[in-house]
Amino acid sequence: MNAERLAALARVLLHLAVLRPLVRLYCGVHVIGSIHLHDLPRFILIANHNSHLDVLLLFSLLPARDIARTHPVADELYFTRHPMLFGLMNFLLQPVWIRRGQAGRHDDPLREIRGLLERGHNIILFPEGTRGRPGEMQAFKSGLGRLVQQLPSVPIVPVFLSGPERVLPKGSLVPLPFWSQVLLGPPQFCTGSPRDTIRHLENTLIELSRSGVARRNPRKRRRLAPAPTLAVLGIDGSGKSTVSRSLAQRLSVPGSACLVSDRLEFYERGELKPLQPLGLEEARGMLSRYAKQAKSLATYKIPKLAELLLRDRLLSDVNRWYAPQLVVQDGSPLLNMAAWVALYDRENLDDDTLLKAIAVLTGDNSGLSRNDPVFRQIPELALLSRLGLAHLQLPRLLFLLDLPAHVACARITSRGGPRQPHETEEKLGRLRQAYQRVVRITARKWNIPVMVIEGDRPLDEALAKVLNFAQANLEQEPSHDHKSAD
Amino acid sequence: MPAQTGAILAIAVGLSLVQGVRVCYGRRWPFGSYLGFTWAFFAAFAVAELFSFRAGNWIIAIVSFLALREYFSMVEIRLQDRLGILGAYASIPFMFHFVTTQWYGMFIVSIPVYSFLAIPLLVSLGGCEREGTVFSIGVIDFGLFLFVYCMGHISYLMSYSIWMAAFLILDVAVCDVIHFLLRRETWPGWGRLAARYFLPLPLTVLLTVALSPWTTIPVGHSVVLGILIPALVMMGRHTGNYVEADLGVAEETVGPGRGQILDNLKSLLFAAPVVYHYLRYYLDLP
Repeated sequence: MNAERLAALARVLLHLAVLRPLVRLYCGVHVIGSIHLHDLPRFILIANHNSHLDVLLLFSLLPARDIARTHPVADELYFTRHPMLFGLMNFLLQPVWIRRGQAGRHDDPLREIRGLLERGHNIILFPEGTRGRPGEMQAFKSGLGRLVQQLPSVPIVPVFLSGPERVLPKGSLVPLPFWSQVLLGPPQFCTGSPRDTIRHLENTLIELSRSGVARRNPRKRRRLAPAPTLAVLGIDGSGKSTVSRSLAQRLSVPGSACLVSDRLEFYERGELKPLQPLGLEEARGMLSRYAKQAKSLATYKIPKLAELLLRDRLLSDVNRWYAPQLVVQDGSPLLNMAAWVALYDRENLDDDTLLKAIAVLTGDNSGLSRNDPVFRQIPELALLSRLGLAHLQLPRLLFLLDLPAHVACARITSRGGPRQPHETEEKLGRLRQAYQRVVRITARKWNIPVMVIEGDRPLDEALAKVLNFAQANLEQEPSHDHKSAD
Repeated sequence: MPAQTGAILAIAVGLSLVQGVRVCYGRRWPFGSYLGFTWAFFAAFAVAELFSFRAGNWIIAIVSFLALREYFSMVEIRLQDRLGILGAYASIPFMFHFVTTQWYGMFIVSIPVYSFLAIPLLVSLGGCEREGTVFSIGVIDFGLFLFVYCMGHISYLMSYSIWMAAFLILDVAVCDVIHFLLRRETWPGWGRLAARYFLPLPLTVLLTVALSPWTTIPVGHSVVLGILIPALVMMGRHTGNYVEADLGVAEETVGPGRGQILDNLKSLLFAAPVVYHYLRYYLDLP
């Protein structure tokens, strides 16, 4: 009698002083929900089984008084192959041995377990039977159901172990240090048929495994396709910045949209969100302010060209850093540039040459030789192409705000402030024609849906139509379906 | 007892007391894990100052083992990478041994040359599956570099003088506290970035200069380091934040084995090696 108590004391001490610190130092143990074990006079612990370490982990979360009266259920045939281990286990863990596959003695282990539980001892059980493949749960064995049916008053504490399958997986000999997460669920009392009990406990454990704490972040790959681009074109004073802003805001209601205008704005679910600053945008803003101070069209040209190039480059930065689902552009750098080509054009280009120029600007040089006449007519084009700057992007949808030049001029005057060199009635009229022409030929060549908005009508009326048009045309594009993304 | 020994002891004892209160008080403390982390360093410094450098060095080795273990617990790896991971863990005593023997050349090449050659070999010896090899090697090498190699520099700094390592930890802690206080601020534009650099700057410069009699760093270099450290902390935190995000560590899920050490360590990752090499180069240390 005395020897038995001495052995129990030694067992508890060994657990507390040696086994537990070793397990904790080697594989960190994070226990969540240990409160579920408090104040239970007796219990059955059930856990998923992936590793020999599982049982040590479960022992390391027991209160000290329970260590000597808790018994794991283990397969005798497996462990008797290693006599040392068998002896050690017998002393430290006091398992209930079962002999699998021996007909006739089928009821024996159940009776032993029941006896222990009736004496107020606890049982640790792995209802999967054997260790499964790492990270997978197998179907539960039926013995647990019958046991619970015979003792419905014993609480069953489900435990989900994640980590031991990496520390010491089946088939490897050397344990490696990894953290283990031990997740305890609330005690369960089952009164149904054995089969219902099994199903209920299986579901409880699966639910625990899904609770997020136990899971690692799986490696995901996000598709980084650039967002479709909507461009609103129009001459100065046509109200395109207003239109593009409300378009961005309203189209962002199902997700997010970024407005690339004089300022960058990001809308999420219809609301303006703060942005992290982009260096490129700051540079573009400075250049744009500088261009607006220009006194003549000649000095306006170079900074404006650079600004348009930067604005186009900004598109890829916006996609990379903000990942919007939609980009609304106030003006399209490519088409603005083409319109300016048509405007500056002294020797009236025909449509074919202009199309060729646009194609070169998008980076499509196929079928063009170095000394094609287009490069002679537009020398800047040759320079851009040679510098590798000509890969501007075509928008997916086009809106053209059409407004007579004198109305635009009147609006600019009423707005006040300094005027830019091209903001005269004559030049705006020519720019308007250039835009119309560019949009017409581009849309025909690249099959881009276009909507022409009468700029002198009230905006609210036009906006509803614009929204419908945008939504209808974007829905055709499978890449804009955010539900199927991923 | 000289004043600098007393100061190290005072900080270590103070942090131990706080740590004790924390353990008795309960689990949830906003700064809890950070305190524990700083305490571990000062415990190592105190042990190195009072007893032996070797013992203090091995305390830092244990911290770096815990950090590496936590990192490996969070990344997705294949079953057959176990040999490579074993190699990574084995590199810890390998490298820290050269810190105790003060063999600079071997310390500095042990991981970048020997471990980084051994690990790909070990990964390829682990099994027959070739798919994912590059990713596995990258994952293991990155963890080893950050959590062992960069941490080892603190240990080596400690071998020059305890205060050379201690001032670094204190400076980084000052930056961390300011980053913590500013974590909810949403100043527009570049203001956020500027505040994170310029607010801790006077404090780190003052602290480094004030400690210069103990650290034995000349005042001029102390000023430069005080200017350098907030920037290095920002770089480390920024990189660390990206790593954390990929590993699924968020503010609400940080916990034991779930990014707790990485969260505290990220500010040191750039600061430790750069400050170390700065000092070694300009002060002509062995």
